[in-house]
Amino acid sequence: MATVKTTPRQKVGWGTANLVVIALALIPVLWLLSLSFKTPTAVLDPSFWPKQWTWSNYFRSTGILSTSQFIRPLLNSIGIGLIATFIAVVLASMAAYAVARLRFPGKGLLIGMALLIAMFPVISLVTPMFSIERALGLFNTWPGLIIPYVAFGLPLGIYTLSAFFREIPWELEKAAKVDGATPFQAFTKVIAPLAAPGMVTTSILVFLLCWNEFLLAISLTSTTASRTAPASIAYFSGSSQFTVPTGPIAAAAVVITIPIIIFVVFFQRRIVAGLTSGAVKG
Amino acid sequence: MMAGRDRPPMRPQRPAKCRRLLPGGRRRRTVAGLATAGLLAAGLAACGTSGASTGPVTLNFYLYPDNSGATQTAIKNCDHQSGGKYTISYQKLPNGSDGQRQQLVRRMAAHDPTIDIMGLDVTWEAEFAQAGWAAPWTGANKAQAENGTLKPSLQTAIWHNQLYAVPDNTNTQLLWYRSDLVPKPPATWAQMIADAEQLAKQGKPHLIEIQGAQYEGTTVWFNTMVASAGGSVLNADATKVTLSTPAIKALSIMKQLATSSAADPSLPVQMENDNRLAMEGGTAAFQLNYPFVYPAMKADNPKLFKHFKWALYPEVIPGVPAKVTIGGIDLAVSAYSQHQALAFQAALCLRDAQNQLIAANVGGVPPTIASLYSNPALFANYPFHADILKELENASVRPKTPVYQVVSIDISHLISPPSGINPTGTERSMISQLNNALQSKGLVP
Amino acid sequence: MSSNTEAVTVAAQGEAKVRKGRKQLSEGARAERRLGWMLCAPAVIVMIAVTAYPVGYAIWLSLERYNLELPQAIKFVGLSNYGAILSSPYWWQALKVTVIITIFSVAITLVLGMLLALLMHRTLFGRGTLRTAALIPYGIVTVAAAYGWQYAWTPGQGYLSAAFNHSAPLTSEVKAIIVIILAEIWKTTPFVALLLLAGLSLVPEDLQKAAKVDGATAWQRFIRITLPLMKPAILVALLFRTLDSFRIFDNIYILTAGNNGTGSVSNLGYDNLFNALNLGIGSAISILIFICVAIIAVLFIKGFGTAAPGTDIGKR
Repeated sequence: MATVKTTPRQKVGWGTANLVVIALALIPVLWLLSLSFKTPTAVLDPSFWPKQWTWSNYFRSTGILSTSQFIRPLLNSIGIGLIATFIAVVLASMAAYAVARLRFPGKGLLIGMALLIAMFPVISLVTPMFSIERALGLFNTWPGLIIPYVAFGLPLGIYTLSAFFREIPWELEKAAKVDGATPFQAFTKVIAPLAAPGMVTTSILVFLLCWNEFLLAISLTSTTASRTAPASIAYFSGSSQFTVPTGPIAAAAVVITIPIIIFVVFFQRRIVAGLTSGAVKG
Repeated sequence: MMAGRDRPPMRPQRPAKCRRLLPGGRRRRTVAGLATAGLLAAGLAACGTSGASTGPVTLNFYLYPDNSGATQTAIKNCDHQSGGKYTISYQKLPNGSDGQRQQLVRRMAAHDPTIDIMGLDVTWEAEFAQAGWAAPWTGANKAQAENGTLKPSLQTAIWHNQLYAVPDNTNTQLLWYRSDLVPKPPATWAQMIADAEQLAKQGKPHLIEIQGAQYEGTTVWFNTMVASAGGSVLNADATKVTLSTPAIKALSIMKQLATSSAADPSLPVQMENDNRLAMEGGTAAFQLNYPFVYPAMKADNPKLFKHFKWALYPEVIPGVPAKVTIGGIDLAVSAYSQHQALAFQAALCLRDAQNQLIAANVGGVPPTIASLYSNPALFANYPFHADILKELENASVRPKTPVYQVVSIDISHLISPPSGINPTGTERSMISQLNNALQSKGLVP
Repeated sequence: MSSNTEAVTVAAQGEAKVRKGRKQLSEGARAERRLGWMLCAPAVIVMIAVTAYPVGYAIWLSLERYNLELPQAIKFVGLSNYGAILSSPYWWQALKVTVIITIFSVAITLVLGMLLALLMHRTLFGRGTLRTAALIPYGIVTVAAAYGWQYAWTPGQGYLSAAFNHSAPLTSEVKAIIVIILAEIWKTTPFVALLLLAGLSLVPEDLQKAAKVDGATAWQRFIRITLPLMKPAILVALLFRTLDSFRIFDNIYILTAGNNGTGSVSNLGYDNLFNALNLGIGSAISILIFICVAIIAVLFIKGFGTAAPGTDIGKR
């Protein structure tokens, strides 16, 4: 490609293609954004943008951010997501370190198990988990969601991290020790900085996984005590029994999309690397 | 459901599973009767067995989202009347009746102690009773709950000869017709279809509006038809399917309507609100629907309103009054409530005559206390009160079984679209599917 | 749980290279072995506790007549629940819908993903912006996006319905399934594109050049050189998208709630648990879905041989 001179026509061609893709990716998101700024009567107007903008779906007495119906689930989502991500990344790091650096029988079994769980149909867990968690008193609690989220975050964590760990030049650790560093210093000064990007990437991916999860979130919760934001949206009630609270739902959808946009904009390279490094280096 | 005037007309909804037979319109009404509601509940003095707690106990009351303000008013009245023994906290359930049931059922399955009073759709009582989630009513509470309450409403709250809830409000369908097109309302289904076909030949508005989508409303239609033909879906203990000849008769009429020129082309997707809109739009001559259509017509199409009349639901067997399916909400006390004694009292208060009158006038939901139908405070908003009462007293109850949800879904899937009914074949498949459902062998789609 | 599949691609392939020849067990090796086990133990325990145990329990439940509303009537019924499901038209309808959605969404996603990957690979400018934009559908909460689609297709409310003659596609089976497939494609194409992009970067540029010198057209080069070299990446994408698609739940739950015969097997399982409160039937459906997924995975791995991830696991 480098040898080919680009003509203006080519530029226009590629530029148009880019624009089409960007538009296709963004229009559905912009639609949600637009809906969230429509007044309750204007949601019944199919025009793409609101004719009259309002914050009332977000703030004021009618807004989702002034009701515990949404704020509490939002906090649940953040709390459950962070805790599950933390535990999953810690456990996954240990396992990934072993996978990447140590020789031991059963490694293949571990990889296979993680692969199986990554492909596991979540619905198959719903019925037994509903029953088990009721018996154990975990139903409708944070741990009741954190535990399965950790389990489903682990395969992702183990695979991504072991790919990253394999890239770390571990000889540097030895070199540092030769240069007089203590093992602790060697780890904190040399290895940890090298491992950090992988950990950050993995944490983002695992957090997105938890943030996105819906089936377990609606199945293993019954109140806002533990219901996460995506699940709570499905339980919004409208101003009358048969009106659908379109505006608030759209606003809530926008709110839970914001962290994703932030991650994507600031960590685009990281996420892409995390998702594809293995496929490249296979 | 009927309240859904503001619902986008064709919005895809969960059928079968979702709709409540609850009166309409939680629309605000001019509050004529509010001031006159000076009746005080009878037995409130006797409450307060729950010991020497200091402040008032908070009772959590789970009910559909009532935005008319009637429920809030009732709660305020009861808090006040309790003399500081309890305060009721209104916890709104989700919109659809499917969501409401799921919400309650999940918490009951987890033995949630924070629920005290539950507003149950009239089809859920058997389920909540059999599972042990609703506390039985006994003694003075039971006597007070039964006193003066409409028999069929009470029927919905009874399971295995035991009362598990107190009827709060009710509902039933009437025949609405255009007096400019039909001078004399038809008394039977055969007559109504013939009238409509006649109008069709004359090129006049002629459609018969009824619920035909795959959802609870269509199960209601079927239940009404079977009961009016002298049959029932299940036997009294819900151990056997009892469809037989009356069901075949009912199915033939439903099929006859669906394949005649009287059928709305969109019958297979129609729910109560679509029927209302069609009649307001001027294409229909008849409508089988809940009373919420009356104030709606008044507001939306004053010209047609002049000719908008009502009559009793048409008969299936000439000369035998139709047995129309009853709807509404019953209040139950949770078996896991930690304040059961107070919860019984509060439930009785919430549905006492004063509060039912408010609910009827403000919230548009017909009362379950028979004497209220002769209370002039009701007449302004219920010019059809006499016909409603007549139907309610002779109403039919949907099959009472813990697995009603499955039964209803099976029925609505077999009879919708109604033009696809094959009376004997449909009856046979229904028997086999319902038998499976009763043995917990059935699948719900 | 869609995103947990992706990274599996990462190391499933890379794993092979870690394996080293077996050596005599020295003291050091034994210590290494113990450390390895210890480090893996917590992860293994959590994964087993959350999956294997519940599945075992589900197998037991699936052999019982167990309605939550009928606590007095619980009893062992053998395989009768499976018989009820396999003879029910609802199961076959749900399976049909699931298979149709899987086939169409995976096939179309692969083609579009390939185009998008080529675009991202070859485009002259704006690569970063393109990737960022593409990551948004991938990252967005499925439920949030699904609400957007639902409103967009609601007559009188949505721009898409308005653009298509005020149609109400979500109320009819075929059209609703098309809308569901479109929503799936929108959501998953970026991920497939990124995987394929990674594969594309493996195709040596000089090979392309040499072919060009030999007079091969762009299409010929794509078919003869690019595609074969990308086979591993394509198969990985295919396997994971297929299994992921087979589990579809969120989009359908929001868009149609499974009405009008549009429910997937996951929706069927959910409804039988939470609408019918039937733990026995619900568990049996769960197990059947699990078996379906296992069959798909085995077919893929057998069918594609060493190219698929997990193959080396099978051999151990």
